[in-house]
Amino acid sequence: MFQRLALVISFALATGTATAEPDLARLNTDAVNGHILPLVDSFQSAASALQTAAEDNCEATSPALVAAFHDAVDAWTRMSHLRFGPTEKDDRAFAIAFWPDSRGKTPKELTVLLKSDEPAFMDATSFAEVSIAARGVYALEFLLFDARVQSVGTAEASCHLIQAIARDIARNADAIATDWASYAELILSPSETGPYRNDAEAAQEFYKALSTGLQFTSDTRLGRPLGTFEKPRAARAELRRSGRSLRQVRLSLEGTRDLALILAQDAPALQAQLDALYMVAFEVADGLDDPVLAGVADPQGRLRVEILQMSVDQIRSLIGAELGPALGVAAGFNALDGD
Amino acid sequence: MTTRRQFIAGMLAAGLGPVPTWADAGSPAFLSAAKTASGDHVLVGLRPDLSEAFRIPLPTRGHAAAAHPNRPEAVGFARRPGTFALVIDCRSGQVAARMDAPTGRHFYGHGTFSRDGDLLFTTENDYEAARGVIGVWDVTRGYQRIAEFSSGGVGPHEMVLMPDGETLVIANGGIETHPDSGRAKLNIPMMRPNLSYCRLEGTVLDRVEPDSTMRRNSIRHLAVRPDGTVIFGMQWQGEAEQIVPLAGTHRLQEPLRLLEAPDQVWRDLSGYVGSVAASQSGDRVAVTSPRGNRVVEFDADGTFTTVSVHQDVCGLAGTDEGFVATTGNGLITSLTGQTMQQSELAFDNHLLRL
Repeated sequence: MFQRLALVISFALATGTATAEPDLARLNTDAVNGHILPLVDSFQSAASALQTAAEDNCEATSPALVAAFHDAVDAWTRMSHLRFGPTEKDDRAFAIAFWPDSRGKTPKELTVLLKSDEPAFMDATSFAEVSIAARGVYALEFLLFDARVQSVGTAEASCHLIQAIARDIARNADAIATDWASYAELILSPSETGPYRNDAEAAQEFYKALSTGLQFTSDTRLGRPLGTFEKPRAARAELRRSGRSLRQVRLSLEGTRDLALILAQDAPALQAQLDALYMVAFEVADGLDDPVLAGVADPQGRLRVEILQMSVDQIRSLIGAELGPALGVAAGFNALDGD
Repeated sequence: MTTRRQFIAGMLAAGLGPVPTWADAGSPAFLSAAKTASGDHVLVGLRPDLSEAFRIPLPTRGHAAAAHPNRPEAVGFARRPGTFALVIDCRSGQVAARMDAPTGRHFYGHGTFSRDGDLLFTTENDYEAARGVIGVWDVTRGYQRIAEFSSGGVGPHEMVLMPDGETLVIANGGIETHPDSGRAKLNIPMMRPNLSYCRLEGTVLDRVEPDSTMRRNSIRHLAVRPDGTVIFGMQWQGEAEQIVPLAGTHRLQEPLRLLEAPDQVWRDLSGYVGSVAASQSGDRVAVTSPRGNRVVEFDADGTFTTVSVHQDVCGLAGTDEGFVATTGNGLITSLTGQTMQQSELAFDNHLLRL
């Protein structure tokens, strides 16, 4: 596997990419219709199914509820790199996915709510006022999988809260899908008065979503549990209580891969290189056999997680070095800095 | 018995000889970190006519520099989350001292000297506690770490010394980061930026927060006018569609005031201000946006006056006549265009006026 990785990487770096001007309007159309809208629709359906499952049976042990939880998180994670426009309005994305929770706010806020069992859970408008740390799929994971949070308050309080969170996720998923219908128009028909003035600005937004999404997977999904060699942080792995940490990496890569291949479609050589690097990353992920990335704590397991992180970083380098310039959206030395 | 020659040698060794000044380093008027065409990192001194006075190799990408008020010594900070800073003798180009951030801290890339040059203050991250700190270093003892105090917030970035020489003003950007997670922002929905003033020993004098609609506007860069008015530049972390002011002014014990410009001017900055400066006389202030490729100028009342377009512009310093700006494409320009140099260097974020 490692040899293959090295081989593909050297191949990727050796081949230059001579490309024609990309047709940005067409790339943008494909990104919206072939990537974003289907993902947004899937999440809306999965979130609606989650709400139904919670209403049917709100017990944490309900297999249907647990399955619906996993489906909804799958669907969200595949689109988790699409952090602009409708997901950012009214902090919807943060309310769906408050993670990383570096100060441990989610279990704290949930404990407060569970002890109170306020009627606040009962209607959607008042639940939307609750701290985002106690909303969304990461909060729901605690209620479904964390013994300590489950031991707080009455079974009734827990049931109400599970239902309120599921409803809130579905409401946000609906709002995102509704807004995307009109936001798609703003992207595909750029204008001086809209959020995108031309096709290049829209393409730049997709490029930014792609590179930021990959960075999040490398730095946060993998970087946080890796910590440092002296101080690995397995307990920081994403959604480890539901055994999803590695799956999160895999699904987020699937999401960014689709977008990367669309954006690179006018540069076939680059597209092939990106595809090859993604295949390597998938192979590494699938061969890991460590669903919660617990291996970060021992030298051998750690090396394997580091190799996964490296393989994601290889994709990031290629995107920065080749895709940005190919799209004509490469940022300047200072513009890229972010400090 | 001590001979006269031995006495002089001893005196020189003890540092009692003629004290070197910035004139010994070619009298630069400005300092900037930069990247050369071959990809090496350097610290550059620029003369008043914007020509290069010196170029000194740096081991890694620099962010901002701090200049000793009298001695030709500059401190180059590695880019966030760097854990070291180098003190460079700008006459010889040699590293005069190396500062390592204490365990559990990293530098944010900015720092400032006390007026007498005996102390250096640095903005730092106490990352396990997600707490901003100001590190205090004793210059007279070879830049030894002697103390630290709270920055008054999370994510302190730029800090400047007020004209009274006794007060530091700190831009607490409000954004929590942790080196394990690279440069990922960990607390956007909860962020609370502020502007904090404190005495040199850490006593807090004032702390001002933007109102609730502006909590996602990270206060990052600062300049101060001779009359004590602080100019701050911000970076918007909220919805991109929302057009917000990205700079403001503040006077101690007064509320924050946002600068006013037409929406289109703010919109063109892409939510990001990279540097702010005041002209030496204080009658004008300006901000740069490398993402918007623009420099925006305001008059003393904070009223918008002009905007100029320069690709990847970020470095900015006040001069007697107005401003000098630098870009990632090697341009060094007085904004009036009267003085201009084109270099093969990519100038990094900040231009420091000596």
